[in-house]
Amino acid sequence: MAVTVATGAVKTKREGTFGYLLPALLLIAFFFIVPVLMLLVRSVLEPEPGLQNYAVLLGSTTYLRVFLNTFMVAGVVTLVSIVIGYPVAWLLAIMPERWSRIVLAIIILSMWTNLLARTYAWMVLLQRTGVVNKTLMGLGLIDQPLALVNNLVGVTIGMTYIMLPFVILPLMGVIRAIDPAILRAAALCGAGRLQCFWRVLLPLSLPGIAAGALMVFVMSLGYFVTPALLGGTANMMLAELVAQFVQSLVNWGMGGAAALVLLVVTLALYAVQLRYFNPARGT
Amino acid sequence: MKSRLVIALLSTTLLLAGNAAAEDLVFTSWGGTTQDAQKTYWADAFTAESNIAVTQDGPTDYGKIKAMVEAGNVTWDVVDVEGDYAVQAGNAGLLEKLDFSVIDKTKLDPRFVTDYSVGSFYYSFVIGCNKDAVEACPKTWADLFDTQKFPGKRTFYKWSAPGVIEAALLADGVAADKLYPLDLDRAFRKLDTIKADIVWWDSGAQSQQLLASAEAPFGSFWNGRLTALAETGVTVETSWTNNITAADSLVVPKGAKNKDAAMKFIAQATSDQAQAQFATATGYAPINLDASTLMDAELRSSLPDMQADTQVNADMGYWAEHRDEIGTRWYAWQAK
Repeated sequence: MAVTVATGAVKTKREGTFGYLLPALLLIAFFFIVPVLMLLVRSVLEPEPGLQNYAVLLGSTTYLRVFLNTFMVAGVVTLVSIVIGYPVAWLLAIMPERWSRIVLAIIILSMWTNLLARTYAWMVLLQRTGVVNKTLMGLGLIDQPLALVNNLVGVTIGMTYIMLPFVILPLMGVIRAIDPAILRAAALCGAGRLQCFWRVLLPLSLPGIAAGALMVFVMSLGYFVTPALLGGTANMMLAELVAQFVQSLVNWGMGGAAALVLLVVTLALYAVQLRYFNPARGT
Repeated sequence: MKSRLVIALLSTTLLLAGNAAAEDLVFTSWGGTTQDAQKTYWADAFTAESNIAVTQDGPTDYGKIKAMVEAGNVTWDVVDVEGDYAVQAGNAGLLEKLDFSVIDKTKLDPRFVTDYSVGSFYYSFVIGCNKDAVEACPKTWADLFDTQKFPGKRTFYKWSAPGVIEAALLADGVAADKLYPLDLDRAFRKLDTIKADIVWWDSGAQSQQLLASAEAPFGSFWNGRLTALAETGVTVETSWTNNITAADSLVVPKGAKNKDAAMKFIAQATSDQAQAQFATATGYAPINLDASTLMDAELRSSLPDMQADTQVNADMGYWAEHRDEIGTRWYAWQAK
């Protein structure tokens, strides 16, 4: 994926700039593309040449469930991220700049904190004997601890938190670019607040929503750490399946096959993004 | 963004690889309190004696061992692995033969000695319980699988390895001496009955955290992790009924850069002194037959190899042979 980004950029510039990209391209080719290709080749060579790994992978209800679950989790996380991220992006866009700068710094700082540390923190907060459950029980709101971790709820909370900046930042840019005069014009024409939002602001910010959603969806598809720690084994996602094949079962043929499926889906979605949401084309 | 991340990750990996390629011996184990003890009583003692520095790495990763051996760039010299993996990997040509002119195997528990591996330490899966969190503690595997009598979450080892399947069969009434060959259908049927109440632990540290916080007030644990947890002040009750034993092994991946030093390290790590000290610190049993004489008698009596009455020995040979088949089924069942 990284290389596609790079070559995409090359096409829009003059050929002469290619030289500047060469070191980065070589590095990625050697340390990323080649190893990935080698793993993919193994998927059709091990344990013997043929497509039997793919037959097993696509023919088993267990693995199909993992695929479906991967899409489901990615979809839910995307949806929740948009719903939570949109108001934040909106607020950031209309806030006085000195305030928005502080809020933005908080959002970006959280991105710099170690992913593992953040995920463990959620684990401690969300477990049955964790702060969230203890507080709710102390307030008398619930009798039994809620199951907030080792399930889809835990994965969604943990991943949404990590993905939020990737929704907020593109959305904020798009909303900022909307001329406030348009909203005033809508209000002058008699539109209520809700109507202003649904019929003016939302449609105009749709490109931002689409860009953020696709980014979050694609990133979520390949996520490993958060679902592994906050999800139960029944919420397994593709990346975990790959890790399991490679590390525990030491079955690299199957691992490579699962990795290829993930790669194909990701590239297909990326192609959709290039086709429909390419900012360079002004769509 | 993504490409920058990739490069950042790559350069970190390169740095780490560069470090490991230095002349030091690299010892890899599973981390946590166990590796701390291995470092203190095996590695530091070895360095003091031989002047060969030992770099600690981890956690053990079978995929990495395979990758290193195939790529001909082996950066781990001695690795602590599970006993069944040691047998399988030895047969698969991933390991160096051990040099028994350096390692004195006459003193080592013969159950864990193969051409390619010697025991590292010896442990039991036992039933652990946080006494402060529940009214009654399960005493047998049948209790642990009884959600009527003992409601609540229970925790088990997540990875496919000897232990949980055996526990399920024992809980279902299979006699301890009739466990092998494992009746997998029966084991998974039994596991199905408690599946919704299982919280999996994937590392020893996590098992301690789950028990201490009473997220899962009971479950199946490595006995040494309970010993370590009890020392931190948690009221832990351990039931040794039908404790299921397994051993870790020390192996040298094929093509290890410091093979000679690795043999010397293993000789030191399996010596009576090092084994006795490690066992005292961790609560795991020594695999050196002379180690007992160097240990406090009372402590010695609390170790897994002294809990022989109802003990069940996991069959490493059986597991080595069926590791892939059981593993595939195990993970498929978990994902259901």
